[in-house]
Amino acid sequence: MKLRLRRLTDLVLNHSSLVFLACILIYYGLQAPAFLSVESLGNIVKQSSFIGVAALGTTLVLMTAGIDLSVGAVMFLAPLVAGMAMKHLGIPVPAGFLVSVLTGALLGAINALFIVKLRVVPFIVTLATMFLFRGFGIWLTSSTQFDFSEDMRRFGLSSLFGIPTPIVIFALVAVLIYVLLNHTQFGRQIYALGNDREAARKAGLKTARIEAAVYVISGACAAISGFVMIAQIGRLDAGFGEGREFDVIAAAILGGASFFGGVGTAFGAVLGAILIQAAKLGLVFTGVNLYLQPVVLGMIIFLAVFADAVRTRRLTNKLKRTIRPLTRS
Amino acid sequence: MMKIATLAATLLLTTAAGATTAQAANICFSFQDLETEFWVAGHKAITTTLTEMGHNVLERNANEDVNKQLEQIKDCIAQGVDGVIMIPQDGESANTIIRESQNSDVPIVVFNRPPADTGQGVIVVADNAGIAEDATDFVLQQALEGAADDAKLNAVVIVGDLGDSNAIARKQGFEAAVAKYPDRFNVIEVASEWDAATALANLEAAVTANPQIDVMFTSSDFLFPTIRSVLEPRGMWKKIGEEGHIPLAGLDGDATACQLIKDGFVDATGVQDLYFEAEASVNAIVQAVEAGETDPNEIIFDPGFTLTSANIGEREMDMWGCVLLSEGFLNN
Repeated sequence: MKLRLRRLTDLVLNHSSLVFLACILIYYGLQAPAFLSVESLGNIVKQSSFIGVAALGTTLVLMTAGIDLSVGAVMFLAPLVAGMAMKHLGIPVPAGFLVSVLTGALLGAINALFIVKLRVVPFIVTLATMFLFRGFGIWLTSSTQFDFSEDMRRFGLSSLFGIPTPIVIFALVAVLIYVLLNHTQFGRQIYALGNDREAARKAGLKTARIEAAVYVISGACAAISGFVMIAQIGRLDAGFGEGREFDVIAAAILGGASFFGGVGTAFGAVLGAILIQAAKLGLVFTGVNLYLQPVVLGMIIFLAVFADAVRTRRLTNKLKRTIRPLTRS
Repeated sequence: MMKIATLAATLLLTTAAGATTAQAANICFSFQDLETEFWVAGHKAITTTLTEMGHNVLERNANEDVNKQLEQIKDCIAQGVDGVIMIPQDGESANTIIRESQNSDVPIVVFNRPPADTGQGVIVVADNAGIAEDATDFVLQQALEGAADDAKLNAVVIVGDLGDSNAIARKQGFEAAVAKYPDRFNVIEVASEWDAATALANLEAAVTANPQIDVMFTSSDFLFPTIRSVLEPRGMWKKIGEEGHIPLAGLDGDATACQLIKDGFVDATGVQDLYFEAEASVNAIVQAVEAGETDPNEIIFDPGFTLTSANIGEREMDMWGCVLLSEGFLNN
């Protein structure tokens, strides 16, 4: 009986984010049945795409024990550059999307340059570029709004086989990151680097190249996320994306990534983003007082992270008692 | 541009008449950011007017950082400015900055966003609650006109950042208007945090939870494109007179709202009289500097007005957003 209880506890803790998501869906569903409607669940996933796509990139960064605080600024600057290219060069939306992704990758490469080549701590570099990238965008727009063409809005509000485009893009990016992490040499190298940088280097891995690549991917993901959200609104304001880096990091951490590196999955990042969005939107459905909403949301995120911390501690204890190392599920 | 030129000319004449020996003053203009049309237009009106009056303007953009704003104003004071005009990031930090300025014997004027304690400094502020109440009242009446006598209608209010006193006043104005019609409206509150992405997600959830929306008020006009993105795919973005039109009101009086009222999608917007506020701010600081007053304390209220689909013909050019629109603001 005791063993069964312990196994059940382990099972719950090993899938704490999933359990939390289920609890949120059930609780809000009981309070407001419309929350579980297909349209509502679709909305949750669609709105998760904004944070989720960026969280997928950030997960890779966290896996190398790095951090990217410039995500929110990239979400702002990359679509802005794309918008300007669309407006002044007359390029269509798909080409604008490509410009946005390339801009994001370039901004990520700037981070990578300072982190990898100049050996500056990622926190400091990305904190600086957070201001730098946003400042550059504000300089470009003189802080005024930037209106995109109707084509852009049509793209944002379009769907493919009845599935909204933001969800399609979210799914595509998630699959790409999943394949990258689980079915490529590069993915395994990221895990190796995050687990033990020195050992990875001694094993002959090009750690600098791997580390640089994750920042480039993170920048590209943030750019996609910003572009897709702006496409839904049709207007870019100077404050767009501000503070979003914290939502993105929270989603990645809730999804199982760690600030110490070595762990994280694409599925986890998707789950973390959906968990945060479900918790937020459930508050709207249940009509929770606006003043209490940040408090309730903070508590939900805290509990989810706390459960993850308990799981990690139990796993660490288990590893200590085991001769052969356990692999994390 | 005409409005700003007229404002500058009026101020030039009035100050020239009373102060022939007046010298150019150094005015520090600190703003929290320029992320909406209102702030952009306000910034332009103040800087242009001061410059055309012959004063030197030291502009400081705090990029929504309260600590940065405090440091920038301290820096201005250290440089020996004669006065400060500030658009604070929030009400609490504003009081700290006002104290800092007045303690250094530098007069300070707060433009549009009032501090938590309105007893210090010259505060030029719109009657946000009153303007919101009038604009909301207009659309509530529109909604009731087309409804059965005993029907209870769903009224959505998109609330701004709860740390911003203007947002709170606008919410209170909405509530005051709804209170005039007891038991007629079921209020659905949607948080925006003054962020388009947050507003989009929350409004989409609110509309999914309550598919029947009868009337809507947004605490700022800058969220109209977001509202459109939610309503349009659901077939709820209709012009006045079309079946399924949702009476829609906002507050600010920006160029987008003007265009949307002209197009028939929006019914009303509460207008902050930006040019009056800019003029009052500039007048107050110039007079304080010339009189050698270091800690003038006064509240100057902008009563504002409501531009509606019914009065746009007569009052269009009283709204700063329509002035900007006529200058091609949305095309730039």
